[in-house]
Amino acid sequence: MTRPPPPDIDAALRKFQRELSSGVVALALLAVLSRASAPMYGYQIAKTLERFGDGVLSGKQSALYPVLRNLEAAGFLSSHVGPSDAGPPRRYYEITAAGRDALREWAAAWRATRDSVDTVLEGTP
Amino acid sequence: MNSLPRTIPEYLDHLRRALAGADPAMIQDALYDAEEYLRSELAENPGKSEAEVIAAVASSYGAPEEVADIYRDTEVTVQTALRAPGPAVRRSLAGRFFGVAADPRAYASLFYMVLALATGIFYFTWVVAGFSTAAGLSVTIVGIPLLILFFGSVRVLSLVEGRIVEVMLGERMPRRPLYSVRGRSIWQRIGDMFTDPRTWSTLLYMVLMLPLGIAYFTLTTALVVSAITFVLAPLGAWTGLAERWFGPGDVVLRGFNGAPLDGWALVPVLLVGVLLLFVTLHLARAIGRGHGLLAKHLLVKTAQYS
Repeated sequence: MTRPPPPDIDAALRKFQRELSSGVVALALLAVLSRASAPMYGYQIAKTLERFGDGVLSGKQSALYPVLRNLEAAGFLSSHVGPSDAGPPRRYYEITAAGRDALREWAAAWRATRDSVDTVLEGTP
Repeated sequence: MNSLPRTIPEYLDHLRRALAGADPAMIQDALYDAEEYLRSELAENPGKSEAEVIAAVASSYGAPEEVADIYRDTEVTVQTALRAPGPAVRRSLAGRFFGVAADPRAYASLFYMVLALATGIFYFTWVVAGFSTAAGLSVTIVGIPLLILFFGSVRVLSLVEGRIVEVMLGERMPRRPLYSVRGRSIWQRIGDMFTDPRTWSTLLYMVLMLPLGIAYFTLTTALVVSAITFVLAPLGAWTGLAERWFGPGDVVLRGFNGAPLDGWALVPVLLVGVLLLFVTLHLARAIGRGHGLLAKHLLVKTAQYS
């Protein structure tokens, strides 16, 4: 009888982080843009998240761009291309009214999940 | 291959190689995003050299291979989440033949073929009128700016056509334009417009859209109208509605070799009409697929920096 290979803890962690991040990153992007006073471009958003970021939010920033594009396709963000004095034209994103509604709902869902997960995790190492 | 990129073009080149074999439209989007990030990072750190910035970016934005993995992952997730599920695969020959009626792609292609006449006329006119005006005036001072404007407008049209093709024909097309090469003088960039194969293949596509649009439109209307006529004619004759609709002066073709068809002899006509409807849907779906590939080839593929 062959024994199954020992589980790869690192790979499992990466997979867990990837799955955890897929929804949370979208929530964080909406939150950042809802607090912004002016439309922001991808790099700015990435750097803002980096300042707050820990856990899954500190992952590779290239992952943010596809999520931004998906949020725009879903109607939660709108965007326009603006010139910049330092190089290429940039795509500026801002949150839409639908985006604010979504953010409110998602934030409530997040808080409820966070509290119950914290309660479950209490006492575990 | 494994040497670390030291400049932005090298980084983008690595990324392109890491994404080799992926959908060209996704590659274009990924390259656009990466270039925006790298240029912004470079602009934010004026004291650092390009090589230092690229090295730092590997940990924040990701090394080209990691970025490629992220885009591949996201593309799969998004497609499964956003795309409508495909029609159930039918085994039997009859199932596969008649199953086309449940495939939304067939109707969308049919609509695209009708629309192609309008878009084809517009693209053709725009390209022929715009190019000849700008090229003709290029001996004067206003010609060159006009030519640049014209090329810019063609790029926008190419993106718009890409969106239409993606929505109706289901071929993934880019959502972001290409970055032009940086660090070149304005004259070099104008020169690039003329040497970029993408410019010419896009113009070719737009000119081709007129004959193609006419062919698609003619084929669609002829087939759909014949099929519907074949279905309605027997029904009209059997129910007697045909006699009420048509006056004595109308020419009604309902016969074969001079012998008028009536009663049961009209059943084959009805069957042919129904078959023709399904054949039309099959044909539309096949043409839609073929046109999607053509659009991708002429509007996107040639732009992958070869």
